[in-house]
Amino acid sequence: MPGVSSGSGGGSLVPISPESQGPAVYPLHHCLKSPISRLSISWSRGNSLRVSVFAAPSSVEDDAGGEVVEVKLGGGDCEISDAHWRRIAYGSVSPFALLQSRKNAASSLSKMSMNSSPYGADWWDYILEYSKDINALLGSQKSASVPVIDDPKSVIVKGEEPTSLKAAWELLEMFYAEKPSHLWLPERLVDWLADYDSLFSGTHPTVHSKLVDFQKELVNLQVVEDNPKYWEVMSSALAVGWLDIVVKMLRLHGSYRLDQLSNRETENGLVEAVAVLISKMPRMRLDQEAGKLGECFKAKPDFVKAWEKWRGQINKLDSSAFWFQCAHQQTREGLRSMLQIMLGNANSLCSATCHWIELHISHLLYIRPFTVGLDSMYSLAQKSIQLKPMASAHRLMGLIIGILGENTEVVLAECLKGFGPWMVVHAIELLTAGSDHAEMLLLEERPNLGGISIEELHRLVYAQVLSSHPLTWQIAPIYLISCMKHGMVLLQILLSKQPVQDNQLLLKSIEICRLYELHSITANIMKIAGVHHWKHGRKGSGVFWLQQARDEYRLNRIAQQLFDSVGKTISDESFKQWEGLIQLMGSDSKTAGGLEFLHKYRDFKKSLQHVFDGKTTDAARKAVESLISLMKNPSTPQRFYLPLLYDSLKLLNWKDRPLLNVSQTNILLTKLQDLSMARLRPDFIESELPPQALNSVRLALATNLGRAILEE
Amino acid sequence: MAQNPSLVHRIPQSKYIDAIRWLSPVSALDRFAAVAYYDTDTNSPSIEIICVDPNPEGSSPTLTPQSSWTPPSRISSLKTAHSTHQPLLAAATFSGSIHILASDLINGGTMESEATVSELGFHSGPVSAVDLREGGTECVSVGEDGRVNLVSFVGDSSKLSYRRIFDANGLVGYTAVKWASPSEFATGGYGFGLQWWDQRKPGGPVSQFKGNWCQGKTSGIVHSIDIHPSRKHTCLAGGSSGTVFAWDLRAQQQPIVLSGAGTDEAPISLLSESEVWEVQYDRYTRSSNTSNISSTRILPIMICSEDGILAVIEQGEEPLELLAEPCAINSFDIDQQNPSDVICSLEWESIAILTRS
Repeated sequence: MPGVSSGSGGGSLVPISPESQGPAVYPLHHCLKSPISRLSISWSRGNSLRVSVFAAPSSVEDDAGGEVVEVKLGGGDCEISDAHWRRIAYGSVSPFALLQSRKNAASSLSKMSMNSSPYGADWWDYILEYSKDINALLGSQKSASVPVIDDPKSVIVKGEEPTSLKAAWELLEMFYAEKPSHLWLPERLVDWLADYDSLFSGTHPTVHSKLVDFQKELVNLQVVEDNPKYWEVMSSALAVGWLDIVVKMLRLHGSYRLDQLSNRETENGLVEAVAVLISKMPRMRLDQEAGKLGECFKAKPDFVKAWEKWRGQINKLDSSAFWFQCAHQQTREGLRSMLQIMLGNANSLCSATCHWIELHISHLLYIRPFTVGLDSMYSLAQKSIQLKPMASAHRLMGLIIGILGENTEVVLAECLKGFGPWMVVHAIELLTAGSDHAEMLLLEERPNLGGISIEELHRLVYAQVLSSHPLTWQIAPIYLISCMKHGMVLLQILLSKQPVQDNQLLLKSIEICRLYELHSITANIMKIAGVHHWKHGRKGSGVFWLQQARDEYRLNRIAQQLFDSVGKTISDESFKQWEGLIQLMGSDSKTAGGLEFLHKYRDFKKSLQHVFDGKTTDAARKAVESLISLMKNPSTPQRFYLPLLYDSLKLLNWKDRPLLNVSQTNILLTKLQDLSMARLRPDFIESELPPQALNSVRLALATNLGRAILEE
Repeated sequence: MAQNPSLVHRIPQSKYIDAIRWLSPVSALDRFAAVAYYDTDTNSPSIEIICVDPNPEGSSPTLTPQSSWTPPSRISSLKTAHSTHQPLLAAATFSGSIHILASDLINGGTMESEATVSELGFHSGPVSAVDLREGGTECVSVGEDGRVNLVSFVGDSSKLSYRRIFDANGLVGYTAVKWASPSEFATGGYGFGLQWWDQRKPGGPVSQFKGNWCQGKTSGIVHSIDIHPSRKHTCLAGGSSGTVFAWDLRAQQQPIVLSGAGTDEAPISLLSESEVWEVQYDRYTRSSNTSNISSTRILPIMICSEDGILAVIEQGEEPLELLAEPCAINSFDIDQQNPSDVICSLEWESIAILTRS
């Protein structure tokens, strides 16, 4: 981790919620029979603990003495499973990487053209594209599966379970990514609440939960308009702007039934008049989904005009004389209270809504439809909270307050607290998109963070989270390389720490090294892998990896060990085993280190084999050549001198004519001399040859020398 | 992006996929595949038979698990035999055992372990590759420990007998194996080395191929071998640095490089520079008939790679990229009966199903 400031201003980097939740208890599952004498606890991968349980020494022999169990800490996000989080992490890699590369391209372009603003006009398109890509990962859009036969009594359609994460991302998207057009923000919030009000149902009463409850009752109701809940639920739905639900419910009114239409004519007229007024409500929005009610206006003057007209119609209906002719009391009262809501009666709105966001939205809809700007929305939100205080705040509520209050730090802290490091890292891209202030705040290098910016800090934290899982560590590099200060070093540490046992994983690490041109790390990983394989008896794999790493030092070291076994095993039968290894090493002496000797030794053995098979002088000459080149080669270990010469006794004593000339024989004699000197040293290893071997070699060489001199 | 119109569906799983294979269909309607999963949350491996419902209404196909079997450790290699009366699976594990599984696709796709070899000394360390002979009476297994084992199973014996064909004592490690004929098979390993074995000539490989052609450049490992039933003299191999080459036994030491940085000549197009995890002959012919291709020409092949490429390579032609994923494609399988369909396992815990048109 980067230098976590200690004692500098006492500021904690990551806000820790002060409310202590009491100790969490995790049961240990082990199968030890005898009592536990000792526990050892260490961190394992991710947020799991590795607990080693040692049993007290028992008299029973075959009882296990201990066990290691892993305990996973924290339940994580109950809304989103671990596997789902991983899917989100995988999916966000490409949008993030694309945005980073576009950023880099834009900033390098602006450096060239000396332009003050690095981002062009299409920058907002890139941001929005990024935001939409991430949004799509978090769950599909509202399910479009409309039932074939529309059930008149189903007022609320149950779609896919929404998640708070998606709700939070959509909030960020609407406030930061969509090219700021605050004119439409109130209506965007109305749509947002319609999608996600159910999320608050768990902790707070909501209009959505009221509707769901009433839906259950509705099936058993004969005369809906007699039920006070019918009117209450409709008022609530109207207050938060769910017009189509309200109109659909109004049409369930008993006066619509054919048998009653004649004697409840006035009543029905009033119900229908309200329904028409609701469906004609003017709305300030960009576009309207098909089937949704209300009349859209894109320009403010048109909207204001339509609004005044609509309000006038409601007032007219409210003061109409028809109400006195309406015999049904509940209908009369219910409809008039709905008119009050549309007229923006603050008390009606307050009693119709459940929590402050609903109240806030009802105010935006009916009291202050011309609200523009975040500061006025923020003061309205403060007022709503005063009217409807909460015992405990939902994580989305904190986020909304932070956004409306234009407080980047709060938004960031709420993202982290409520949704974790993934959210923070990806949300920062949106926060910095439109605001110079936020960009300065998040990108400024801070001495109390060890010289890194808040943006980098959060990326590093997220990369650490990714690194701690065996499946997600491979995407951590994408985030690490976007960190200017500490990213590269941490990437090197991450790669160096990966396990090398399995070839596939090893090659995946090497591939990442190749992408980021970390050649020294590649070499290190290969060396570690080589030694690991070598130690486990896989000599071929060990030699291969050390060769790849061009590690001559270790190759020479293992060569010494190999020679020990060569002396014993390189008999004719086991030659096939060695063949493969020698082939693997190739003839390139640079990458083979001290193992080059093996290659020559194999050639020599092969030619010697030919001599024994065929006995032709040509073959013998070849064998002599390779013998001489072996003996001349400095990489040939001394302890092989005698065995080599002893093996070639037949060549030295060749019947027809001497095969070695004078100078060649002299070389061999000098080598024999060196050997006699070396034998005096204490660390000399005697080869396993018959005792008279040295004498017979000497004799053969002397004879050969004599014959060679005569011949010349 | 893909250069030709083909339908791709990516189906996220919540587990890592170690290997994936099509199973030969028993009826025209049902398609089955065998998947070796690894669940990192619970540290548990499994082999599952899944039913692939293509879902003709255009949305993503659905995968329905039929049955599951728990191996002792993660699967390092999974192969199927097609010409048996019921599909046979050979699964090799990281703990050095081999399991023969039979699945009954007609009766709900149940899976039973027919036989197991897991004795000490069968392999030391993981079995790196296994191949099942067509007809399904024998399989050959290799490991980095340098052992080459022949496992025969006849009928109902639950304990398999195995025969050690060769033991290189770790001096050579093998990473890939493929049957060529009832008595011959090929292995591959480090340094782009290939070995040809004949059971009738015991005591070691009959013929060896050493990739000296990559001299000076970094060498690599062979990850996968394929041999076409009609071209038994040619051994196709794929491995490190995007290398795909063929070894014609008749032209001993000269490889035919199909892709990769193997030779100094530039013309060979470089598809990928990373590991080629699997190679298979592509039986899905687009234009030319296979029988018309002269016997010296290499038949079309398909490869998948660490940098997310799934492509078809034809000798002397521009390779055709079928998929370019942001993550690695670790294995794939071409359906024997419907060669237009390819199933792939992606690094990011998902399965991709590709239908070529």
